[in-house]
Amino acid sequence: MESLRIPASKSTPEVAFDPASGVLAMRGESYPENSFAFFRPIITWLAEYLEKTESLVIFNVNLSYLNTGSTKSMIDILDLLEHAHKGGKKVEINWFYDVENDRALSNAEEFKDEVTLPFKIHAQTSP
Amino acid sequence: MTNLDLFEIKKSFQRDGTLICFAGPFSHSIIEELGNAVRRYLETEQVGKASMMDVFSIFIEQTQNVRNYAASKAAAGDANPEYNQGIVVIGKSDSHYQVSAGNLVETGDIGKCVALLDRLRSMDKAALKALYKERLRAEPIPGRGPGLGLIDMARKSAIPLEYLLRRIDDRYSFFSVRATV
Repeated sequence: MESLRIPASKSTPEVAFDPASGVLAMRGESYPENSFAFFRPIITWLAEYLEKTESLVIFNVNLSYLNTGSTKSMIDILDLLEHAHKGGKKVEINWFYDVENDRALSNAEEFKDEVTLPFKIHAQTSP
Repeated sequence: MTNLDLFEIKKSFQRDGTLICFAGPFSHSIIEELGNAVRRYLETEQVGKASMMDVFSIFIEQTQNVRNYAASKAAAGDANPEYNQGIVVIGKSDSHYQVSAGNLVETGDIGKCVALLDRLRSMDKAALKALYKERLRAEPIPGRGPGLGLIDMARKSAIPLEYLLRRIDDRYSFFSVRATV
């Protein structure tokens, strides 16, 4: 399966999903004009990958801002990962948040509450 | 435009505590640029990062709601360009920042939105969180309809969201919404 690479733009994050290593990374900010259109190919890729893979999947999320449309799509991604986890696949999430933003931790925890798979929250100092 | 004396406009902005105002066609790139200008401005004001991101995120939801409304009207065959001629104002009152946006609406369209705002105004933070989580999974297509964006704004606002629906004629009203951080 081909890797999925989308460069960052002002309002969309960098996406680097590597099927060989199982590391799926998103980094940046997400408030596209049409979040459904932005996330659709990502979700399609992920669904196909999770069907095929037998090895550990690591989802690294480093998003300092998601608008509500992107949040909805992120829930769809978490649902796919949760479904794979319940089906016996090995899935982990690493969620990085900005320590300087005291609301960012509770945001991270709200995402964590949506799933039961291993979900680690990591503090990070902004550059 | 006939009035060259922008001093009066500027004075009224100062009187109202307006920091940044944009009135005109909302495009995605204008939203991006203004959003970054808002953040840079707030950095110089030394507000905390959480407040800065709250103002920024309310700004994004407000302006995207206007864009989405104009897009939904166009998709329904009503491509009146005035729908996208919005106004967004970031102002300061005492120690609070206010993010307001206004746009032309067809009065008949806005009932559901007003009902939701009235409901949000009566809810506390815990109830708003519960409603947000419920709507996060309930709405079929992300980014369409103002529901989730308004709930998110209400969660970040220090006081209940305020709105004003000003009748223009039998068909149209001007709809203004304000959040306070």
